[in-house]
Amino acid sequence: MVGMSFLRTAAAFTARLNPLKRTCQASNLLSRTVARSEQVVVRHGSHGKRMFIIKPTDFYDRRFLHLLKYYIILAGIPMAALVTFVNVFIGESELAEIPEGYEPEHWEYYKHPITRWIARTFYDSPVKDYEKMMALIQIEAEKAEMRQLQLEVRRHMREKGDGPWFQIQTLDKNLIDHSPKSSPDN
Amino acid sequence: MPKDHDKDVYPEPPSRTPVEDRQSSLPNPALILSKLFYYSVDLPVTTFRGIQSGKKSHYYHQKFRRVPELTQCQEGDYVCYYEAEMQWRRDYKVDQEIVKVIQERLRACQQREGPSYSQNCYKELQQFEQVSKAFQSRYGDLGAYASARKCLMKQKERMMAEQHAFATSST
Repeated sequence: MVGMSFLRTAAAFTARLNPLKRTCQASNLLSRTVARSEQVVVRHGSHGKRMFIIKPTDFYDRRFLHLLKYYIILAGIPMAALVTFVNVFIGESELAEIPEGYEPEHWEYYKHPITRWIARTFYDSPVKDYEKMMALIQIEAEKAEMRQLQLEVRRHMREKGDGPWFQIQTLDKNLIDHSPKSSPDN
Repeated sequence: MPKDHDKDVYPEPPSRTPVEDRQSSLPNPALILSKLFYYSVDLPVTTFRGIQSGKKSHYYHQKFRRVPELTQCQEGDYVCYYEAEMQWRRDYKVDQEIVKVIQERLRACQQREGPSYSQNCYKELQQFEQVSKAFQSRYGDLGAYASARKCLMKQKERMMAEQHAFATSST
């Protein structure tokens, strides 16, 4: 108690000594007393008093946005330049009738040069894809047919019993010893 | 821009530019923007391409042979099913594009005629109505997973409904 009153008197004494430097007094912050500020019109040559604005951190948000912009522009500018040059200097193809006796390559059915390049370099021709799909379907159809046939054959062989499946091997008849029953009075 | 296709081969309907009837004295922003684009991008590129001789590359429209349809396939002939399905899908796309062309014509007509479009665009309107009714009846509610089989079943339903209506109306 005595210490506290001593501190308070010390604070009051320092406040009296330099009345201008009274902004950051702990008693003001804790006890909700507002220091009366004399409102004078002061013209500074600068933007005013420098303030330390207390707000939550925006470091992570700004870092994220910076990295996002960086990585997008890193790939975006070369791609945009490439596409611009292709459009300006190479240009799109023109539509024409298919000449007699000429079979166009599969990339010659597209208009834009980049699409044509992708179709030429990476993709198989649609005719080839079609044939691949038909081959797969043919294989699967044959497999299904084989399986159906096998079930049918099983059924027949089980029923009739004269086929190679469902045979149970029995012992040879010649191995049977008929001697116990061969003579009647034994 | 270089011309897209030969206009004699794929002719567009003749354009009828109407007499301009400006009712406001403000400049037309669409006109300003189009002129800007023309002088900044279009003209330099076209002159550049005109100077450049270079061999022109062409692109073609692919022609597909007709294959037997789903109704002409043997049962269990899955390869035939696949070919019929692919043909049906191509025909579906072609029909969608046909509807889009008719829509475009109607839109252009309405833009041209302004408030009196319902009277002046009668032909386009009738054509659009006919085409969209036909499209709806054939491909209408097939959905995203449409297939040739579903379309065939829809046709069967349509024919059954027609027969039913005919039978009930005649008795």
